[in-house]
Amino acid sequence: MADSKLTFQNGEKENRAADLIIANKEMAFQNEEKEKRAAELIIANKELAFQNEEKEKRAAELVIANKELAFQNKEKEKRALELIAANNELKKAQDDIRKLNDELEQKVIERTAQLESVNKDLESFSYSVSHDLRAPIRAINGYTKILKEDYEEILDEPGINVLQAIIDNSKKMGTLIDDLLAFSKLGRKQVTVSEIDMNDLVQSVIEELPKNVSDCAPVFHIAPLIPASGDRSLIKQVWINLLSNAIKYSRYKKEIRVEIGAFTKDQFVVYYVKDYGAGFDMQYYDKLFGVFQRLHSQEEFEGTGIGLAIVQKVVHRHQGMVWAESKLEEGTTFYFSLPQNNL
Amino acid sequence: MSYENIEILFAEDSKDDALLTIRALTKSGFSNKLHHVIDGAEALDFIYCRGKYVDRNPNEFPKLILLDVKMPKVSGIEVLEKIKSDPLVKSVPVVMLTSSNEGPDIERCFALGANSYIVKPVDSDNFFKAVKEIGVYWMILSQPSH
Repeated sequence: MADSKLTFQNGEKENRAADLIIANKEMAFQNEEKEKRAAELIIANKELAFQNEEKEKRAAELVIANKELAFQNKEKEKRALELIAANNELKKAQDDIRKLNDELEQKVIERTAQLESVNKDLESFSYSVSHDLRAPIRAINGYTKILKEDYEEILDEPGINVLQAIIDNSKKMGTLIDDLLAFSKLGRKQVTVSEIDMNDLVQSVIEELPKNVSDCAPVFHIAPLIPASGDRSLIKQVWINLLSNAIKYSRYKKEIRVEIGAFTKDQFVVYYVKDYGAGFDMQYYDKLFGVFQRLHSQEEFEGTGIGLAIVQKVVHRHQGMVWAESKLEEGTTFYFSLPQNNL
Repeated sequence: MSYENIEILFAEDSKDDALLTIRALTKSGFSNKLHHVIDGAEALDFIYCRGKYVDRNPNEFPKLILLDVKMPKVSGIEVLEKIKSDPLVKSVPVVMLTSSNEGPDIERCFALGANSYIVKPVDSDNFFKAVKEIGVYWMILSQPSH
């Protein structure tokens, strides 16, 4: 009995031991698992710690960046204020400019109106000078002519000479009025610029010149002339005046020789008319182009003293220059320049 | 007074210019059929048989009309304008006379249909020549072939 009890006990013990072994194995496995978990946790913790550190670093950086941003914002605000101020100033300057412009425009309008009215006055003045001065002179001239024609037998020679003097003088006054008006008109005439074939123009002027000025016919030596731009009718007048002067002042020479030519100088074409006539004393050069200024007596060379004034005015209106060189009894050369390529 | 043979109507307010013009025309043998009026109003009266010309034959028109540009009352330009806008008279040639080559008159006269425009020369010889040309012009107009 005892034995069987013992055997049973042993059997029990063995069963327990086997259970224990199983339990132990189980525990050992569980322990292993726990250790594995623990190791994993350690790794995870380390990772977290690293992440935390990174976050702190980022946070610190963000703080710095925030500070920077705040500073920049302040700067921007400052700049904005400055810009607003600058803008205001600009606006004010623009307003000022606009105001000045308006004032200027107003002034231009006023001045133009003034000039137009002066011009109109001048035109009506010219008109009445031309109209009202010519009429009585025409009457004086005409009546004197009637006296001379109808009463010639009653008058003696000095009487007739007086009448002729009246006729000549009134005629001259008519010419003076016409010349003066032509001159004043020049300043008001619109300059219409086109290219001028000077060879052609000079040739036509020469053909139109009065032929009976002197006993001998003038001889022209014309070099090829460069074209220039200008108002054809005005420039024609320049050539007429210069060429008829050249002939007139060569009248008492054995032969009348006139040389015409051209050369370029900077942006200009310079034309010249050279004669071998009476010439003038260069000390009176200042008077040469003056209106009604003359360097010769009426008896020696007739004229009203408007020709060269017209030449100068026309050339100046073309932005050109006019000048002369002369020697008494040897001759004169007149030069005038015109823009080469205005077109 | 009869105006039957009037061939040239001459309107001129200046008695000096009128005298000189008529003298020049007479000397050239052209004045016998000329009638002188002293302003534009009288010129129109003559043409349209009004006022003192009421008895004039309205079917007869002058062959040539000379008009001074600047005249009192009705100017030569106004007379010209009237003539050239009237189909009955517009074919009559009109010569404008002026003392001045200044002013806008020339273009205006030609635009209105003036046939000629003469600036009266100061010099009597040239004046005579200019008037004589008018006479020659009238002679051409008076030729039967016209």
